[in-house]
Amino acid sequence: MIPKKIFTLIISIFLVNSFTIVSLSVEPDEILKDKNQETRARNISKKIRCMVCQNQSIDESNSPLAKDLRLLIRSKIKEGKKDKEIYNFLTDRYGDFILLNPPIRSGTILLWFLPVIFIFFGLFIIFNHNKKSKKI
Amino acid sequence: MKNKIFIIPGLVFFLILLIFFYLLTMDRNPSEIPSNLINKNVPNFKADTLLKKKKFISTVEFGNEVVLVNFFATWCKPCRDEHVYIKSLANKNEIRVIGINYKDNPKKAIEWLKTLGNPYSDIPLDENGRIAIDWGVYGIPETFVVGSDKIIKYRHVGPITKKIYKKINLLVENLK
Repeated sequence: MIPKKIFTLIISIFLVNSFTIVSLSVEPDEILKDKNQETRARNISKKIRCMVCQNQSIDESNSPLAKDLRLLIRSKIKEGKKDKEIYNFLTDRYGDFILLNPPIRSGTILLWFLPVIFIFFGLFIIFNHNKKSKKI
Repeated sequence: MKNKIFIIPGLVFFLILLIFFYLLTMDRNPSEIPSNLINKNVPNFKADTLLKKKKFISTVEFGNEVVLVNFFATWCKPCRDEHVYIKSLANKNEIRVIGINYKDNPKKAIEWLKTLGNPYSDIPLDENGRIAIDWGVYGIPETFVVGSDKIIKYRHVGPITKKIYKKINLLVENLK
């Protein structure tokens, strides 16, 4: 039996945690005044890899380079650049590796379709196996 | 018949194990990322320089000879480690070396070069890191070899070691 006080404490901690916004690395001075522009910047940042930490997006990372890139993305948005132009700007310099989602290219086709092939292969084996055991 | 089917997953597992083992033991640096700039033109930029009063204009400075571009800063410890090799490349092998001073304090940079020696023929200042972004730099020190055709031939991320020093030497000799 958990005493009632401890139980309420656990529940309240849980509630507090679920209401706090996940803290991200975007610093207050970076945020754009225009809300639409800011959401666009955030969306792009979430898809851009931090080249220093490599498994974080620049939206989450607090490395100096990630900050520079966040500011750069915002200044490009202010200049009126489209999302696609910004992605192209970044991949021209850092390659496809800077995108957290690898684009479908001749070199990445296997990466995208191998799981599907494996599923069909597995289904085929299961199907065949069942067929055989039914005969017995 | 039934046993044979069960051997296949075992074999596949063993094969995957072999591949993993090979990738683990082979000589490679997983944090090294292939550069997107190899075989492309040098990015254009203009910048103030540390020691000279004139501006550094990339369109004027590149294209005459083979140039080594080295991103460095005084706050970067590996930059100090590789400095011997940069000096050797500049002095012994007479390669023109441009040192891009990345997010640094100019006063400290001058001090640093006084104590360690200055192998750089020009030192453009990259105060806010924008030049580095145009070069696809993500961690200094980084070194590039630019041919006399303004095309980037080679890039190395991290400090120059003896092995890399030899590699750059050979490459520059071939390009000359």
